[in-house]
Amino acid sequence: MGRPYAASADGTRVNGETKIGAAVHDFFHTFFDWSEIAGALPSLLGEGLRNTLLIAVLAIIFGLVCGMLLAVLLLSRRRLVRLPARIYVDVFRGLPAIVTVSLIGLGLPAAGIRPFGRSPLGYAVVAVGLISAAYCAEIFRAGIQAVPAGQMQAGRSLGMSYLKTMRLVIVPQGVRNVLPALTGQFIVDVKESSLVYLLGLSVGQRELYFIAQERQAASYNASALVAAGLCYLVITIPLTYFVNWLDRRMREGRPARAGAEEPLPEPALAEG
Amino acid sequence: MPTTPPPARPAPPGSAISVRDLRKSYGRNEVLRGVTFDVAPSEVLCVLGPSGSGKSTMLKCLNLLETPTAGSVVVGGVTLTDPGVDIDAARTRIGMVFQHFNLFGHLSALDNVTLALRHVKKVSKAEAEEIGHSQLKRLGLGHVARHRPANLSGGQQQRVAIARSLAMRPEVMLFDEATSALDPELVKEVLAVMRELAGSGMTMVVVTHEIGFAREAADRVIFMDEGLIAEDGDARELLDHPPGTRFREFLAQVL
Repeated sequence: MGRPYAASADGTRVNGETKIGAAVHDFFHTFFDWSEIAGALPSLLGEGLRNTLLIAVLAIIFGLVCGMLLAVLLLSRRRLVRLPARIYVDVFRGLPAIVTVSLIGLGLPAAGIRPFGRSPLGYAVVAVGLISAAYCAEIFRAGIQAVPAGQMQAGRSLGMSYLKTMRLVIVPQGVRNVLPALTGQFIVDVKESSLVYLLGLSVGQRELYFIAQERQAASYNASALVAAGLCYLVITIPLTYFVNWLDRRMREGRPARAGAEEPLPEPALAEG
Repeated sequence: MPTTPPPARPAPPGSAISVRDLRKSYGRNEVLRGVTFDVAPSEVLCVLGPSGSGKSTMLKCLNLLETPTAGSVVVGGVTLTDPGVDIDAARTRIGMVFQHFNLFGHLSALDNVTLALRHVKKVSKAEAEEIGHSQLKRLGLGHVARHRPANLSGGQQQRVAIARSLAMRPEVMLFDEATSALDPELVKEVLAVMRELAGSGMTMVVVTHEIGFAREAADRVIFMDEGLIAEDGDARELLDHPPGTRFREFLAQVL
């Protein structure tokens, strides 16, 4: 096996014909050095992928739960309820992610608040989750507002309270409206999990980017970063298609023959 | 400027619904300008009137989907306009059918019917589904219990909506232009259900443009015009011998 491309590229250089050949070789060697990639893969797949997924999945769940709560608050008729939610969303959408992660992951421990001890992963989950919650809140709010007002009227007319109608009727349909939009947020969360590198990670805690960036610094070769990039794509691209599939399935519901030939029953209203 | 309110006659004892001097304004726009009427138990009242006359707003005040600006609404002995009233409990006894059906789009026909039974009346799942199935069957919908609203015709959707209301065993049913959004060939099946329901002794308030239905099924007709009741009387008498010019003009337009 070895390095078929590198071999032929070396050949070009030895023949010393063109500078272009050397430049092309350097370029490919820097980004696609197979031995670098092969060397990085075990820790990327073993340690990095696991930690990236851990941070991302927990942050997504955190974001979804808090985002939904915030969305309901944003939709309240009471200004005093809306206001704190509004401020939260504006602040966390407005801050650069790197600032939020630093404030939570470096700031809180420095202030003596260490719910996760010395493990940076917990702080990263909270930071990315808090940001995600702000975006999810706006996505959910838009989805809920797109549910026709008649749904709330129907729920209330049956004796269900405002919150019960929200929970059983409005929110389920609102979420369906925004599944594709949420995918975008999930992808952002996966990518932002890399910001945990700011907090310093020891062996076992490292995620994809941290591992790749360590190797890049050691070898001055970007191939490990390319490998890490591919790992991110392996998460994010299937995620998109999974949510699209889920969306289609929920939209279609049970397969049913529309208005199957149905004789008008006589009498329309039997003895009851 | 303020129109003289109709004499506030006391509600006849045992009225299913009694409305006194009901008023509703949106900002400076007064949509209801003092509406007073009673509905006796098992009475079928049709509310007619040109669009913008306030009839839909009036109907939505009967279960407080619209909050009246002034006046009182009593349904089944409960004064809905009292500040301390448990409106959710009161609404379980008042069924409402909407122009656009408003079926819950994410639920099957059966789940539409059972949702409030389970979550408001706290009926067990099995029992709720039994009630749901029998209600759907009663309206000729047994075979579409598992269908989503999107897969039903307009007429079927409206009948599911009626079944959903009836499953709560209401004392009163309100119909808000229940056939206006239906294709002409589907109106018949919904009116048939409403006619049967009227015959079964249900107290009904029906906002409609279907003069034929009013003539056949209604005991009484109210004609609303510009936020007031312009005519109120026996259905056939009123429709066969319309007293006022406005009412005659309206009938001429609708028929």
